[in-house]
Amino acid sequence: MRYKLLVVDDSMIIRNHITRLMADPRLPKIEIVGLASDGEKALAAALEHRPDCITMDLTMPNMDGEACIEQISKLLPDARILVVSALADKATALRALTKGAQGFLHKPFTDDQLVESLLELMK
Amino acid sequence: MNYRHLSPDDIEVFSEAISNFFNLMTRQPAVVKTAYVFKQPVPIIWNDFNGVIQATGGFRGTISFSAPRGLLNEILVVLGESGKSQAHFLDIVGEIANQLSGRARKHFGEALDISAPISCERDAIALQLTAEGPAYAIPLTWGPYEAHLVVHLDLARRA
Repeated sequence: MRYKLLVVDDSMIIRNHITRLMADPRLPKIEIVGLASDGEKALAAALEHRPDCITMDLTMPNMDGEACIEQISKLLPDARILVVSALADKATALRALTKGAQGFLHKPFTDDQLVESLLELMK
Repeated sequence: MNYRHLSPDDIEVFSEAISNFFNLMTRQPAVVKTAYVFKQPVPIIWNDFNGVIQATGGFRGTISFSAPRGLLNEILVVLGESGKSQAHFLDIVGEIANQLSGRARKHFGEALDISAPISCERDAIALQLTAEGPAYAIPLTWGPYEAHLVVHLDLARRA
């Protein structure tokens, strides 16, 4: 199976970094179907490409990650969302999970941490 | 709203965030030096590139990370980024400011509401002075490079 992944982050560097890590041999075949720099673009890309998995930043201009998770969870309930955010408090993580995310990875992260989080998400 | 200034314990959170960032992201520790009260009209130590986070919610003020091009260039290399345009440097300096500020929510909780970063070269933006308490500069060295995090925040007192 080839997984479709949407990468959402307002940092181009982080989007590129996550994209490069998808070549890790521990991961199943992943096709990057979209890169989005804010929640509005992410929502549009999610509806267009119907990804299996999404990595989602929280602090972004326009629509933030929490609002985007809420929308995507309603419209695409099968999409699995890994939050990748610098926000390190527990309340934020719990709220993101409540709104529909399945995992939370704090920035900064190591390559191994991202790969392991994605493997967990795809189980 | 009634505000208090940051305490030494509050500032220590940001020093720890710097250490954590360099340890995890680069595996090459930064030397984080003692914070000092920074007395300038504008709470930032301008460098080649600067990332500014605005704090709201239970806080008012700014958190700014300023670094030379060489330091940012090496971090881009660590991240496997081959692009070296101005946009890449502006992006990474803002992302570092974001990650250092976000880490502080482990201590302050979600009351520390942080904006998406605003990045600039040298002194290309006019910072709004929203906090009234002292600004703290936290110097760090990483390899041959020196950079600064300047924390200028007031924290709302709980009723």
